[in-house]
Parts: sequence; structure tokens; C-alpha cells
Amino acid sequence: MRRLAAIPLTLLAVSVLVFTATELIPGDVARTILGREASDASVARLRAELGLDRPLLARYASWLEGFATGRWGDSTLLGVPVRELVLSRLADSLLLGALAFVLLVPVALSLGLVAGVNHDRPADRVISVAGLAFGAIPEFVTGVVLLVVFAVRLRWFPASAQAPPDAGPLTRLGHLLLPAFSLVLLCTGYVARHVRASTVASVESPYARAAELRGLSRGQVVRRHVLRNSTVPATSALGVQLQFLLGGLVAVELLYNYPGIGALLLRSAVEKDLPTLQACAMVLGVLYMLIVLAADVVYRLLDPRVRLGTAS
Amino acid sequence: MPAFPERHAAASPSPARPGEDVLSRLPGLSRRHFLGAAGGAAVTALLAACAGEDGTSGARPAASASASAAPSPRRGGILRAGSPPPPTAVDPLTMYDGSAIAIVQLVADYLIWLDKDFTLVPRLAEKWAPEQHGKRWVFTLRQGVTFSDGTPLDAEAVKASFDRLLDPDGKSAALSAFDTVLSEGGVSVRDLSTVVFTLERAFSDFPYLVSAGNYNALILKKDYRGDFTKNPVGTGPFLLESYDPSSGATFTRNPAYWEPGKPYLDGVQIKFYADDQADLLALQSGEIDAQILSRAALAGPLDGTAGIVVDQVAGTGLTAFTLRVDRPPFDRKEVRQAIAYALDRPAVNTTVYDGVGALGNDHLLASLFPAAPTDIPQRAKDPAKVAELLGGRKVSFALTYDPPSKDYALTVQNQLKQVGIEVTLDQRTSADFYGGDQAKDTPWLFTDANLVGWAGRAVPSQFIIPMVKSGGVWNGSKYANPALDEAAKAYDAATTDDERKKQAEIIAKALHEDVPVIVAVWSGAVRAYNGERFRGIAAHPSSYVDFSSVSQV
Repeated sequence: MRRLAAIPLTLLAVSVLVFTATELIPGDVARTILGREASDASVARLRAELGLDRPLLARYASWLEGFATGRWGDSTLLGVPVRELVLSRLADSLLLGALAFVLLVPVALSLGLVAGVNHDRPADRVISVAGLAFGAIPEFVTGVVLLVVFAVRLRWFPASAQAPPDAGPLTRLGHLLLPAFSLVLLCTGYVARHVRASTVASVESPYARAAELRGLSRGQVVRRHVLRNSTVPATSALGVQLQFLLGGLVAVELLYNYPGIGALLLRSAVEKDLPTLQACAMVLGVLYMLIVLAADVVYRLLDPRVRLGTAS
Repeated sequence: MPAFPERHAAASPSPARPGEDVLSRLPGLSRRHFLGAAGGAAVTALLAACAGEDGTSGARPAASASASAAPSPRRGGILRAGSPPPPTAVDPLTMYDGSAIAIVQLVADYLIWLDKDFTLVPRLAEKWAPEQHGKRWVFTLRQGVTFSDGTPLDAEAVKASFDRLLDPDGKSAALSAFDTVLSEGGVSVRDLSTVVFTLERAFSDFPYLVSAGNYNALILKKDYRGDFTKNPVGTGPFLLESYDPSSGATFTRNPAYWEPGKPYLDGVQIKFYADDQADLLALQSGEIDAQILSRAALAGPLDGTAGIVVDQVAGTGLTAFTLRVDRPPFDRKEVRQAIAYALDRPAVNTTVYDGVGALGNDHLLASLFPAAPTDIPQRAKDPAKVAELLGGRKVSFALTYDPPSKDYALTVQNQLKQVGIEVTLDQRTSADFYGGDQAKDTPWLFTDANLVGWAGRAVPSQFIIPMVKSGGVWNGSKYANPALDEAAKAYDAATTDDERKKQAEIIAKALHEDVPVIVAVWSGAVRAYNGERFRGIAAHPSSYVDFSSVSQV
């Protein structure tokens, strides 16, 4: 409950930070709207119309009041309601992120487990090296290769993640598979490394050895004793990846032409579209905090020592 | 002074380079920066290699096909085109990016269309003629044209359209295009189908200023309220059915279009791609049929592969390498000339423009302009001349630019280093570069040396008056030459070709000698499309679109 109560205060701090930082970025949104060939007088008129000539505090106060009362305003650049724009982009991001996460969890957990159980053997080395390699290659590189091979050359998947408006669920899924696969390639190594490390520790733990000495097969030991203990530490790693998948997909969104919130956040920051930027920051802030909270809850559920407050 | 559209990206309010001139205007951290030029080239090479494996390379279907005996157009079909999302709300009055201009040009029309070879083609105006030695122009409107809501086109609508652009309290950049030529109150109605423009001074190229060459000069309804995407009424070949700033726009055929039988297509769909690599991949994969804005360096290598045609056209866009003549080290003419002689122009053309451009000669009269002088020797790289001009003086300076000019800046830095001139690169975001006050501190007009992308212009005065005339509104070099000022004024008032050529030569020779602005290359433009599916798509120097004659193969 204390964590929940802290959310509004954190958001307030984020909003102040974003507002102040945007003021420090050089450039003028009125000039961006009218173009460099508009006269200074025209730009000044637009600045006045947009209220950009008001004092910083006054602008912040009116934004805060509007946001708190559900009036998120219009995008300065696009002239469309911010709430619809941001929430529809968020929904798209959640869809892609969720699909990638659903694919990531079993793949990363399985590979980490296999690597841990077979540590220092060829399977472990292959998984570890491949995970590191794909984790080190930026997603826009693997994404381009995937697109060229599977969308352009083989034409198995569409090049764009954005399905036509009238597309059915299966078609939409087909459009999302390639970008989701790019993300799985990127994130698997990180999660698998965590699972591998905890699996190695579990396999070599006294309770696992004791179980083996009691006559349990290796498979039974892994299923009954190693699996759960290995996946608990992976929870926080998955939480970190989920934050990235749900809001940090700028490169993938641009490469696969997907209208997610990451690209919107970047664009509004670069072009100083403050109402949109603030709304993106607030929405993502809430999302991130909820993910961290959820990861902690899951951790507690999986680990009785944390739940009972007996962890060393 | 708007004339031809610009992109970028983004979101810089300007850059003009072949294809990129109207590309994504996202400044700062864009996909282009992630991938960089090398990455982009690698993708293109990869794509070209893939297509080659299909055995399809070498064929160039439609560029030649469309030029040869044209078969009768096949009606129907939807053309899917890719384009960057407009950086701002789409409004014909204030738009300046290529995507917004393309969207509006499908729906609305001009008095006169500017064709790819710079000829003026009558559209809503059937004819026009000067009176009072070019101080008054009379335009006769086409009969029987109606707006898409059924309202007949008349002279009042035309007057209202130009009054909006000329409103001193308005926000249209077109206001500066008419500066010193036409002002508020200068447009009047003679009768229902005749509009009269009374100018402040004689201007022989005035029809260009009310043509598509001044892309904001669209004819809209008298009661237009600035809500174009919500209430899209025009006289163009298509009707805007839907618009989403995130995904794109859909258009259907305008059954009441004034040109009989056109358009041939049932509709057009424009899909937005924030990244030009994604746009290109979509074309390559068959997801779209054409690009609105192509980059020569990316699309060029794909010409002839897998049915893709890359149409190419000469242009008058340029990257102006501007030098402040009022501040050291460029207050010395010898230093400016030395920089100009140090540049390897063909290499700039190849590196930056994929060879699509034409060599520049440090003046603002592109060879496409009919009055361009032909007797000024082409300036070329000459290290001995550089050494002679510098006389052992060590020169170093900072070059300021925004991301779309990055390749150009790197090329300049490398080339000048070869003759001992040190260049420090000062890259700004487009918002920063074009931000600030144009009267005192904006970087693109007040730094010692900078690179500014200029989209093509239909007439040379649109460059000369703002860029190099004394006190010109965008005179970043702070150059002042009374002889040039006089010649520029006389050029605009000239009524014969000979007189125009005479004044053009004075202007060109002054700029070539004084070098306030280095013009190394005049950029061309390209447009990539699937020639196996559609014909009639063509590149335009300003990346304009006219899909009224496009049809399925």
C-alpha cells in the first residue's frame, strides 16, 4: 500500500522534471509548426495562441490542473486530442510487448534452465554465447536482417507490423510476429543468464545433492527442487525486460512501422510537443511502477522467505 | 518564401537534397541516426543483392515503358504509397513538408500546375496575361469546375484563397513568397470567372508565384476554416476519406473531377512510415506500390530489381554552404574562393547525391533556369589555386548544420582537410538550427559557416532575393552588393528573354566571384515505384504528386 501511495508523488516529480527539461531543450515548437520560412511575427502570434509566452509556472500549473481533471489537451504539433493519441499508441505497444513477453518467458526460462543444468558443457556454451551475441546486437540490426530475409526475400511475413484497420486477429498476429521475434532474440540472453546462474546454484546446492543421494533422478531433482528456485531470481529480470518491451521499443517501432508509444515519446520530446510528451511520461511512469510492483508481488508469492520476512 | 516542399524528416523545417529534401523531419535521435549512412547503404545493398538472386535485376520496366507508346489506361485499382507522417497538422495554409503537400495535392488544385520540366500547365486557370507591363495579371478561370461538395468554383473563391495567404496577421509562409510583389488587397474579382492581381512592382515570373511552385497557393472554398482533414473539400482528382496522423490517409476517386475521364485509379492509400528504411522495405516487399518521397542514395540501387523503377528528374534544390562575409576568416574573398576551389564537386555529387545532381558553379542560376549563363567556366578542384589564394595562411572554422546535412558536412570536412583547412563539425538538432530569432540569432542565419538545405525553386528570384540581396530575409552570408541588387530588380521587371539573360549574367558573375554561398551541386529528385503494377508515376523536382494520370499496368 505504501508503494501504491508513492505513485502520485513520483509522477509529480516526473512531470516537473519533464517540464523543466523540455524548457532547456533548444528549439521552438511554434517554429516547427510553421516552418523556417514563416516570418518571426507569424511565429510570435502562434506562440501567443499556444500560450507559450506565458510564464513557466503558469503553464505548468494549468497543465497539471488539466491533466488531473482528465483534460489532457491537444497535441501542439498534430492538433489531435492527446488522450486518444497516447492511449491508442499505448494499446498498440502493450499488444506488441505482451506478445513478445509471452514468447520470451518460456524460451528464456527453458534455455536458462538447460544451460544451468548442463553448465560448462557444450549446450551451456552454445546458449550462453548465442544469448550474449544476440543481446549485444542492436535490435534494428537483427530486425533489418529478419525483414530482408523473411519479408522481402521469402515474403513469409509482412514488412510492416501495422495491420490494415479491418484486419482480423490472426492477420494482426501475423503482422506482429516478426517484430516480436526480434525482441525475443534481443531479450532472451539477459533473462536466460539469470536463470542459468540460479540454476547452477540450485543444482550444486546441498538440498539438490541430498535429493540425488536419496535416489531421485536428475530430472526429478530439476522438476521438484531446481525449477522453482531457479525461476524466482528471474522474476526481477523479466520485470526489467517487460518495462523495456512495453515502452522502450523506439527502434523496433520505427523499423517495423508500428505506431507505439515509444516512437511517439521520442518524437514529442525532440519536437517539444509538451502536452503529448507529458502524457506519455505519465502513462509510462504509471506502467513502469505497476510492473515493478507486480514483479515484487510475484517474487513474494514464489519465495516464501520473502513472504514470511525470513530471507537472510 | 516557400516554393518547393521540404522534408525530414522530419522535422527540420527544410532540408533539400535529392529525395531527402522532403524526407522525415524527425530531428535528433531518428532511425537514420541509428543506422547512419553506412547502415542505410548496407540495407540497400542487401536488398539489391536479394533481388539480384531472383534474376530480376537488369530489367527496367516502366520508366521506358511509360515513355514509349502509351497503351490506353486501365481503370480501377488502389495505389498504395508510402510517406513519412506529416510532422504537424495538415493545413494547406501552413504546410511545408512533402507528405502534407502530397495529401493536399491529391484533394485540392492550383490555378497552375508546375510540371517536372518547370513548364506551367493550366489547371483551374485556363489562361493568364499581363497588363500594365507586368504590374497587373489577369487570370481566367476554367468553366464548369465544382468543389467536391458541389459548390461551383468562382473568382470569389480564388480571391479568398489568396487573401488568406496574404493576410499580414496570418501564419502562412507563402506571405514571404509574395513579399514586395503582392500584398493584402492586391487581389480583386473582375467577374465570376476572372481574377486580377495588382502587383507592387512589375514581376514577369508572377504566374510561377500563384502556381504549384508556391505550394501553399491552393484554391480552397471561400469559407475554409483551417480544418482540412476534418472537412476536406477541394477540386482535385481524389476525395480524402480518412486521415490518421499515426497510420495514413485513404482517398477515393472524385467522380466530379473537372478533367474528363480522370483519374483512372479508384483510390489512393498513403501509409505513413516514420523511417525511410521501413518505407523502402515496404516497397521491396510489395506492401506498397510507390514512395511519395524517395532518397536517391537508398532507392537508386534498387532500380530495375524486382519490378522497381526509380524515376529520376533534374532539380533546382541545393545545399547552400553559406559563409559569413562580414566576419573572419570569411571576410576575405580569397579565403572564400579557396574553399570553393578546394571542393571536389563530382565527388560531392556521388557521395551525397548518388550522382543524381548536376554540378554547381557557386551562383544561384541553375542550368534548368532558362536565363542561366553558359559562359562562366565551371569551378573545379584546384589545390594549387587554393595554396595561392591562402598564401600560407592557416584557416580553420566551425561548420554548423542539422542532421539532414550530415553527409554533406562530413564530405566537406574530408575534402578541405586534404588542402590543410581544418573544419570542426557543429551538428545541431533541426529544432535548434532553425530555432531562435531570424533577426538576430538563429544558427542557420548567424553562424560563420553553415549548411542549409533549400528545396527547389521555380524561378531564380526565389533564391536570389531572400538569400543574397542586401538585407534579404534569409541572407545568412550578410552579403551586400548594390550591383547585384540592381540586377535582381531589373531581372524581375525584364520583359524580354535577352534582358533577363543579361541581368542573370551580372548576378551569376558577382556570386561566382564573391562566393558568399558555395553551390557545389544542384540536386535532382527520384521517385521509386513498382513498374510492374502501375504506370504514369513520375519523379518531380519538388516531390509533388499528380496521380490523376496513374493507371494499373
